[in-house]
Amino acid sequence: MKTVKKIAALLGAAALSISLLAGCGKKAEEKVETAKSNIDLSGIKFISDGVLSVGCEVGYPPFEDFAEDGKTAIGYDIDIITEVARRLGLKVNIINTAWDGIFAGIDNNYDVVCSACTITPERKESMLFSDPYISNYQAVILKKGNNKKITSFKDLNGMTVAVQKETTSDELLSDYKSTGTISLEIVANEKVLSCFTQLDNGEVDAVCVDSTVADGYLAKNGDKYIYAYKDETEPEFFGIVMGLNNTALQKAVNEVLAEMEKDGFIKETLDYWFGL
Amino acid sequence: MKTFLKELIDIKNWKKKTKITGIVVLGLFALCVILALMKPSEADMKAQASEEMQELLKKDETGTRKRVTVTYNSLIIINYCSFSSSGANALSEKYVGFAGHIFRADEGAGKFTGQMVNYTYRMLGSGENILHGAKLTLFLTTLSMVIGVAFGTVLALGKISKNKVISKICSSYIFFFRGTPLMIQLFVVYYTLPAVFGFAWRDLFSAGDEQAVYKGAFIAALIAYGLNSGAYCAEIVRAAIQSIEKGQHEAAKALGLSYGQTMKLIILPQSVRRMVPPVCNEFVMMLKDASLVFAISLMDITTISKNIMTSEISYNVFLPALVIYLVITAFFTWIFDAIEKKFSLYE
Repeated sequence: MKTVKKIAALLGAAALSISLLAGCGKKAEEKVETAKSNIDLSGIKFISDGVLSVGCEVGYPPFEDFAEDGKTAIGYDIDIITEVARRLGLKVNIINTAWDGIFAGIDNNYDVVCSACTITPERKESMLFSDPYISNYQAVILKKGNNKKITSFKDLNGMTVAVQKETTSDELLSDYKSTGTISLEIVANEKVLSCFTQLDNGEVDAVCVDSTVADGYLAKNGDKYIYAYKDETEPEFFGIVMGLNNTALQKAVNEVLAEMEKDGFIKETLDYWFGL
Repeated sequence: MKTFLKELIDIKNWKKKTKITGIVVLGLFALCVILALMKPSEADMKAQASEEMQELLKKDETGTRKRVTVTYNSLIIINYCSFSSSGANALSEKYVGFAGHIFRADEGAGKFTGQMVNYTYRMLGSGENILHGAKLTLFLTTLSMVIGVAFGTVLALGKISKNKVISKICSSYIFFFRGTPLMIQLFVVYYTLPAVFGFAWRDLFSAGDEQAVYKGAFIAALIAYGLNSGAYCAEIVRAAIQSIEKGQHEAAKALGLSYGQTMKLIILPQSVRRMVPPVCNEFVMMLKDASLVFAISLMDITTISKNIMTSEISYNVFLPALVIYLVITAFFTWIFDAIEKKFSLYE
């Protein structure tokens, strides 16, 4: 499992560097000036003309979430995909859907999925990914006042740790446990919020979660939790997902993402949502 | 109906209990009207934003991204307005309007009141179409129960039919739909059927309709729920029919009535009374099962409350959710009780 993750990380890193290189090239500079006219959308069939329909599990802050009015979708992913659509000269329609079966809806209910989707080799066999638009690490969060030093996942030995079910955090810690590297209790929850509530209530000693999600939580609740550890050796990347035959759309989205990377839109949006 | 209206108009002869109830209801209604009239206007509420917020709002007008969400919720006697920016350093200002005054609702009792108004408003699906919140739950449950009872009666008659082929078909149908989980039936109707037969639920509506996906999902849900509740209702109807004494069948036969006439005129009208309590039970179960539609992109009361829980990091949301469910259940229990009374004439 770990080698698979490493390959994924390498592939992702390669893709990111290519996108960065593309952004630095002279060709790209010309593209910025004539942004909208240069990208050819004629060969792409959209579910509804002139609209980019986006599948998204709205309910994973700070990536996607409903604002207080219960209708407006907000979040990092929403900002990114809205800007992608704007630069392609399309309107955007966010379609809220459950995470289970989200990829089955591509080309049926929506054109793309932008919902904090990690790029993995397994997924790449059945769908297309754009270049990554954010990188993510695994992080460990403790309750404020707990001064335990954590310098690697091995320091979690003997602790009870909450994770979100079927996420990379879950897989990672289960690997440590099943191989007998360390002994720990893993509590798998459906929602990230449940993990943090368990930490609050003293049910668990630590939470292991995506660093991006942890950043979002700590920005709002810095007085309750502390960032104990971030594993920077194994990054993973999030991409926008398209149907396997939609290479034309993939190309267009990648061009726009490179452009957004170059003119600082992505950096600014990262700052805004994660307070990095 | 006529006698009921006559009794209603004849206030002098009302029972004492009815009089008291009437006075209380009227009093509450009058209070609501007064409070509703005194409620601050939408424009007043929206004018509360601080200078800082006004600046952000102004920026939004020219920028490509909207940063501030203005929420305005009005619930008959009370209203709530909030301005919230997004991101890591989010700002928010909340106000509650009640009885001619506008209160800040950033902490304490004000915050709690504001939350309750906002959560209730969202869970009721106010200001949205019929595919949201309590409206969706009610609409889906009622329609699928109507389909279920009608279809269930046909199935039940089929199952007790003397024709072996019809009887076997109906029995297998009931066995299948009672023996598999509703969630999986929902998945099969929504995902598997379109894949096998090459159609999309969304295509039932025009491509330009932004809500087409949700409408398609609703049709699929209605079919799955209708088929499922048909199977459950069939057993309820069958049990009710078979609980009518055999002597009645024999008497009808002796009078020269056909099987169809016996059922229509004698057996079914009597079995209705015996059907009502279990059908009410099934209805209440269905009401809560309606939350399974989260799996196919629809937002009912439970899904909305879970959503609010994650985004607001607050567990208070379950209070209004429980109250809304109880109110709906109370209302329908009352209706079913009335139906039961109406059909109890002969017992």
